[in-house]
Amino acid sequence: ASGRGGMRGGNKAVIIPHRHEGVFIAKSKDDALVTKSMVPGDSVYNEKRISVQNEDGAKVEYRVWNPFRSKLGAAIQEGIDNIWIAPGARVLYLGAASGTSVSHVSDIVGPTGVVYAVEFSQRSGRDLVNMAKKRANVIPIIEDARHPSKYRMLVGMVDVIFSDVAQPDQARILALNAAYFLKTGGHFVLSIKANCIDSTLPCRQSIR
Amino acid sequence: MTLYLLYETSSGYSLFQAGGLDEIGQNNEAVRNSVSDLNRFGKVVQLTAFLPFESALDALNQINSVSEGIMTDELRNFLELNLPKVKEGKKANNDFVHEILRGVRLHFERFIKDLKPGDLEKAQLGLGHSYSRAKVKFNVNRVDNMVI
Repeated sequence: ASGRGGMRGGNKAVIIPHRHEGVFIAKSKDDALVTKSMVPGDSVYNEKRISVQNEDGAKVEYRVWNPFRSKLGAAIQEGIDNIWIAPGARVLYLGAASGTSVSHVSDIVGPTGVVYAVEFSQRSGRDLVNMAKKRANVIPIIEDARHPSKYRMLVGMVDVIFSDVAQPDQARILALNAAYFLKTGGHFVLSIKANCIDSTLPCRQSIR
Repeated sequence: MTLYLLYETSSGYSLFQAGGLDEIGQNNEAVRNSVSDLNRFGKVVQLTAFLPFESALDALNQINSVSEGIMTDELRNFLELNLPKVKEGKKANNDFVHEILRGVRLHFERFIKDLKPGDLEKAQLGLGHSYSRAKVKFNVNRVDNMVI
C-alpha cells in the first residue's frame, strides 16, 4: 500500500485516541490530528485519508485535520481545555463557511449527533450544502446568524454552540442564538480572530 | 388566564396551552428550573393541537413565510380553528414566553406521540436542505465568475 508517499501508509499508521473524545492522533512519521470519517473514501477539502485495519479486520478510515485550515483544529492542537463537542453531541455551528471544519465536527459527533451549520454567504454556502449532502448528521442552514428566529423551525435544542462568525458583535450573535437553542447548562466555544479586531497590532495586544 | 403558545417545527405547527402559571410564578429562575424537568413542565404546558405539513413542498412554503414573518393561510386557519373566540386577546412575547418556548423545544418529541425519536431531525434535515438550496439558487445578486 505504501510507495505513494504522504500519509497513505496503509497499516503503518497507528491511531490513538486524543484527550478529546472523538478526536484521534495518527502516529506515523509526523503526528497528525485526525477524525474518524463518516464517509469513507471521501475527501472534503483534499485532505489526506488514512485507512487502518481494526483487530477484527474491518477497515476504518480517518481524515487528517489540517490545523492551518480550521480554528477548531488549531485550538485542539494548541491544547484547548475542552471543546464540549463529543460523540452524540448536538452542535449549533455559526459561521460554517464551506464546511471544512464542520465536516470534522460531523465526524466527531458521529451518527448519533447532529450539527446545525449556519452560514450566510451564498458562495461558501453552496459548498456547505454539497458537503452536507453526503453527511446525514449535518443540517445546512443558509441564513443570517444575527436572526435566529428566521431558522427557528430548523433547529432543536443543542448541547454546545461553536461560533466563528468574525463579526464585531459576535458576542451578541452568540447570546441571541443561545437564548433560542442552547440547553440550560450547555456550553459554547467562541473563536476570536485577533486580526479582525485590529490588523495592525500584534495579536496578543489586540486581545488585550 | 390561559396562555397559548405557537411553536413552529420542521414537521408542522403546534399549539400549546400554558395554564397554572401562578404555580411556577413569573420568576425567571423558577421558570427555568421547572422547564428542564418534564414532569413539572408537562403539568403546566399541554399540547392543544398539531398540524403536520402535508409535503416537503408545503413545509418549504411555510418556512419561507415564517422566516419573513408572514402568516400563511394554513397557519391562519390552524389558529382560527384551535384558538377559542375571545373578545380581547393579548399577544405576549416576553422573557417568560421565551423561556417556556425553550422548554417546548427541549421536550417537543415527547409531546407529539406519533413522532419517533429521530423523526424531527429527519424533517429538519430535509427542510434544511431544501431551504438552503433555494437560498443559494435564487440569489440574483450572485456574481460567480470562476477563472481557472
